[in-house]
Amino acid sequence: MSKRLKANERRASILAVAKVLFADKGYNGVAVDEIARRLGVSPAVLYQHFPSKEALYEAVLNQISAERESYIEAALNGPDDFGSVLERMALVFADNLSSDSDYLRMEMQAALEDAPLARHLFENRWKSFTDFIEFNIKELQQKGKLAAVNPQIASLFYQGALREALYAKIILKTPRYQALALPELIKQITRLFMQGIEYKNK
Amino acid sequence: MNADVELDTRGLNCPLPILKAKKSISAMAAGQVLRITATDPGSVKDMESFCKQTGNELVQSSSEGGEFVFLLKKH
Repeated sequence: MSKRLKANERRASILAVAKVLFADKGYNGVAVDEIARRLGVSPAVLYQHFPSKEALYEAVLNQISAERESYIEAALNGPDDFGSVLERMALVFADNLSSDSDYLRMEMQAALEDAPLARHLFENRWKSFTDFIEFNIKELQQKGKLAAVNPQIASLFYQGALREALYAKIILKTPRYQALALPELIKQITRLFMQGIEYKNK
Repeated sequence: MNADVELDTRGLNCPLPILKAKKSISAMAAGQVLRITATDPGSVKDMESFCKQTGNELVQSSSEGGEFVFLLKKH
């Protein structure tokens, strides 16, 4: 039956399997033969769709980039103060990544073996947070509504806490945080962050 | 079409372009046009959703050389 797949279906199935393997083992840990074996086809079939492992990897990355979240709802629906929008953005992000843990695994692999890729993933998924936090902090400071915190450090701080929460709940399933559901964990992290930068919603 | 207000969101990722657009539009009069430049590919879909949700008109959505230009008419 696998031989009867249409070209676009075959391509999609190759991408899906390659994504799982790259996420588990990293770029260097996966051979084209292994991807082909998992799909039940010969490597030649795989090369009909992707000329090289690099091309396949790039296609997986492009797919991940295209899947990034829209924060329209988070931005427009609900209270529009800094903390409320940030919390809703983090909840959207966490919800998406909960249903796609391979993304987080690829990110972990990239951090170890591929700095340009790690930067690419940052530009596509995390930069929404750093942009949003830095812009809001600068704006609130200009209006005299926020203490003198460094916007870059503050955004790094939040990004780090959010990423750790996602790793703990989605990948590692850390027993320590078992009693806290991911959305609640995110709400508390966001609240703590807001207290840390001495933000008052008034 | 000439724009009444210009908004440069190049280099910024969603949702900042949308939030900035919302702020600019709220200060404009009905019928006025806002021209937004962006580099985030996600902004194409976002601007469409934004206009649908806010009842403003997306008069133009185009891209050139990695940049996106949107013309929004306030209703």
